[in-house]
Amino acid sequence: MSLDYMLKKLSVCSPWLFRINAGSCNGCDVELATTACIPRYDVERFGCRYCGSPRHADIVLITGPVTTRVRDRVLRVWEEIPEPKVTVAVGICPISGGVFREGYSIEGPLDKWIPVDVNVPGCPPRPQAILEGVVLAKSIWMKKLGLEG
Amino acid sequence: MSDTLLAILHMCVFPGGAFALLVAMFFKGLDRRVEARLQRRVGPPLTQPWIDIAKLLTKETLIPKTACRPAFLLAPVFGFTGMAVCAAFIPVPGVFDGLFNMGDLLVIFYLLPIPAMAIMLGGSASSSPFGAVGFSREMLMMLAYETPLLMILLAVAMLTGKAMNGGSWGAEFSLLNIVALQQQVGSFGYNPVMIPAFLAYLIFLPGTMGVPPFDIPEAETEIIEGPLLEYGGPLLAMFQITSALKTFVVLGLGVALFFPGTISDIWIVNLVWFLLKCLALMLLSLTLVKSAMGRFRIDQAFRFYVMVPTALALCSLILVWVM
Repeated sequence: MSLDYMLKKLSVCSPWLFRINAGSCNGCDVELATTACIPRYDVERFGCRYCGSPRHADIVLITGPVTTRVRDRVLRVWEEIPEPKVTVAVGICPISGGVFREGYSIEGPLDKWIPVDVNVPGCPPRPQAILEGVVLAKSIWMKKLGLEG
Repeated sequence: MSDTLLAILHMCVFPGGAFALLVAMFFKGLDRRVEARLQRRVGPPLTQPWIDIAKLLTKETLIPKTACRPAFLLAPVFGFTGMAVCAAFIPVPGVFDGLFNMGDLLVIFYLLPIPAMAIMLGGSASSSPFGAVGFSREMLMMLAYETPLLMILLAVAMLTGKAMNGGSWGAEFSLLNIVALQQQVGSFGYNPVMIPAFLAYLIFLPGTMGVPPFDIPEAETEIIEGPLLEYGGPLLAMFQITSALKTFVVLGLGVALFFPGTISDIWIVNLVWFLLKCLALMLLSLTLVKSAMGRFRIDQAFRFYVMVPTALALCSLILVWVM
């Protein structure tokens, strides 16, 4: 077993989360920021940590239907995240546009611009669903590192 | 020659380098775990700091085009070296006397700000506006907490010096003598004159470690980690290791200054006793405060540090002077 393999094997136990708001109504953001973090649902037990900088991120959680104004910023920030990264679309908006679908200012869905790895539907999704999405993202990250999930 | 080799060994293996790193990483894991338990969460496993480091080593390093490359790359190394050397100066009572036995308190005082300087250097070299904001905040915090630290060290040095000179004025900057004196006459932590200084040291700890409520320079919600914003991968891992080593250094220094008593002649028992005291200090001044409080604004924190711990430390200093 090589050192590289061991480091990779360990690394999936430390997913740092980064949130991008792509024009969300804040419902999903509130669920992410508070519900998934409060004692009852504790994401830290998977080794997760919310980080402020895209440079530190491993799993990126994107909320919102990708509005015209915010699209370029989202793409720019997403590109700043070092590889390997896993993208999770949280809420129905980034998946299909949700109630904002076909609005004049909506450039979504998100997978038109960014390869999305995990979809967590809901308006807003339940905290349990968000946690499950993060755990799924962990196994996808393992696959991206070349380990069997 | 062999002295130099021995000094290098002390810096790399015990108590600096490997030993300090092992202890500090364990403390850090315990800190996160206890914090989670205090908030009624499960918390990460105890090995989480190691896992974080392993993860960061597998990530790619991105360097901003506009950054000053040499300074940006050297800053984490600079901080790490400073702390690895500084850890060798910490005496483990009954086990190790500290690297040099003359004026090492002053050397520690000069080495302690190095991680903060490294963060400032890295932040300003990263060419990010958030780095610049973090730089100015880190600078302000440093000015605020270094003053009480200097007064605490002076109070301890003067108390020791007076006792060694038989009551006349004196100052002793050797940690070896400070520890030896306390083992004879009792720990300074129990001395009523030194209690304000000890309280000031407890307040100094969260400020220098940059943990809530004083994590203002690296506030992730306002200035997205400030100076560390552009760092990622192995470079960030280096900053994390530096911060862990610094935890060990400031806790060890606190134990050496205020509670260096030993309980037996067997070195392993003394070592465990020393670590337990460090742990108690950490839980009291870092973990408990961190899990219960939000973040101060920079002006509030500055005013707090200039008023409260400085006044406490000054109190001890004057009491030591007049008594």
